[in-house]
This record gives sequence, structure tokens and C-alpha cells, in this order.
Amino acid sequence: MNIEIWMTIIGLGGASFAIRLSGYLLASQIPQDGMWARALQALPGCLIASLVSLMMLNGTILEWISAVMILAIAAITRKPTLAMFAGMVIIAAMRFAIA
Amino acid sequence: MKQSNNWYLELLLGMRDMLPMSVAAATYGLAFGLLATQSGFNIFQTISMSALVFGGSSQLVAMEQLSIGLGAASAILAGSALNMRILLVTATMRNVLASRPWWQVGLGTFFATDASVALMQSAKPRNMTTSYWYFFGGGASLYVIWIAVTAIGALVSSGVPNPQAIGLDFAIIAIFVATLPGMWRGTKDVLPWLLASGIVLIWGTLFPEYASWGLIGGAVIGAICAGLNNEH
Repeated sequence: MNIEIWMTIIGLGGASFAIRLSGYLLASQIPQDGMWARALQALPGCLIASLVSLMMLNGTILEWISAVMILAIAAITRKPTLAMFAGMVIIAAMRFAIA
Repeated sequence: MKQSNNWYLELLLGMRDMLPMSVAAATYGLAFGLLATQSGFNIFQTISMSALVFGGSSQLVAMEQLSIGLGAASAILAGSALNMRILLVTATMRNVLASRPWWQVGLGTFFATDASVALMQSAKPRNMTTSYWYFFGGGASLYVIWIAVTAIGALVSSGVPNPQAIGLDFAIIAIFVATLPGMWRGTKDVLPWLLASGIVLIWGTLFPEYASWGLIGGAVIGAICAGLNNEH
């Protein structure tokens, strides 16, 4: 087990760095304008939208309610940190209320 | 390329703006440290994994594969599959890393995580969207905190309060949801975002074991949809 743990750590560490570097090297081949440049500009938003969808996939109704409220708070206040902490308080309060 | 004499100020700003994401990631890192100890990792192995891989879900999956006896090759493959999305993260950092020396590109990509994309939202009002040192400061500070909390998790395998009771388990979701409004570029994002989310939800429901591939597919297809749209 011990040697397998070290093999995994080193192997996964190397693979992860190769993945990280490849993303930049691939993107640097894309022209500065045109369709692919527009796609690259839209990528951060699409990536976060996908990530949130994946995280919420197995969420309970309480988590969905909290997420909607966080979205509303962040959209109104434009303060993501405030919205994050508000969301944590909201979900903790709802869990406490139904426990 | 953004040139600045105040690189250290940009670095400090990046560190400061990364703080909310660091708090959220810290809960995940603590959980990894705890689980790693329970799965037979010693403290050096736990810290080494966090230091070399620097990817929460990837580390957890690789550890799980090892603990059920599937071996190192399977653990590396599963962990790498989950980290494939970081390829898209470093792709979005093209303008930050362009024209930088090779060692800065290496360090910049090494510190890239999902949180780097979230940091782009804070970078916009500060006019730091192409500042290398801003993203370096954010990434490096998250890296140090990530290693510190996994070490703490590994050392204090008991006595940690129930994270669910105080909403800590929800912090990582909450920060990314809170980041979304800042990413919004107007109505031109409606279709790409709906497409990206729809693909993730449908794929993840149909193939739950391969849900992370749905994330990559959703993000790429959503971005291509935006690219095909000429509206500005």
C-alpha cells in the first residue's frame, strides 16, 4: 500500500501539471479574434455555470433554496463574499429548523 | 502583457481577493486531511499529495480508488480525469500568461484551480484581468492554505466540529454560486450558460459515474455556442 500511495502521488502530480500546462499551450495556439477567441472569452462563465450545475446535481431542496438565495444576494449586492457567508447561515438555519 | 512596477501590490491584492475562495477551499482541505488519515496515508503522504496535485476532488477520488484496492494506475487515471477541467481553466488564463518567461508560465499554470476562474470576477473591477502577479498571488496563497489545512486535518483526526451543522460543507458551492452574477456578460450568455448547465445535468443524471466528463463537455459546448454567436 505504501509504495502504491507514493506512486499515485507522484504519478497524479505529474499528470495534473501536464494537464494544467496543456490547457495554456493549446489556448495559445488560438487566434486573438474570430469564433474561437469569442469561445475562449465565454469559457470562464460557462465553466463556472457547469461546475455549479455539477455540484448541485445531487443537492437537496434545502441546498437549491440556499443557492437561489445566494444568487439573488450576489446579484443585488455584487458582493460574493457576503453572499457566500449568507448562504452558509441560511442552510445551517434551515437544517437546524428541520432537525 | 501588463507591465507594472507595483507587482507586489498586485500580488497582495490577488491574495486578498482569493480569501473567500480560500475559506471555502479550506473546508474541503480539512476534510481531505481527515479522510486521508483514515485511509492509511501518513502525514507526509497527505501533505505531499496536496502539494503536488493541488486538486481537491481529484485527490479524494484517487485516495478512494487506493483504499478500495484498485491500485495506483487506476487512482492516477481517475484523479487525472477529474482534473481534466483544469485544462479549461489554464486555457482561460492565456492573456495572463502570454509573453511570460517559461518559469513564470510553469508556476502560473501550477497554481491554477477552479478558484482562479472565480478570481477573474474580482479582477475585472480592479482592471487586473491580465495581471500575472494578481493571479500568482491568489493562486500561491490558496496553495499555502490548502497544504496547511490538509496537514491540520491529518493531525487532528478528531475534535473537529460537525461541518454540516454550521454550513461549512456548503461553503465551496456557495462561493461558486456567488461568483456567477459577476461572470454574467448580458443576454448573449443566456444560451451558452443554459446549454452548459443542461448538458451537465442531463449527462450527470444519465451517467453519474462519469459526471465530471459532462462538466468538460458542457463548458466546451457552451463556449463554442458563444463563439458561433457574432453578437457583441
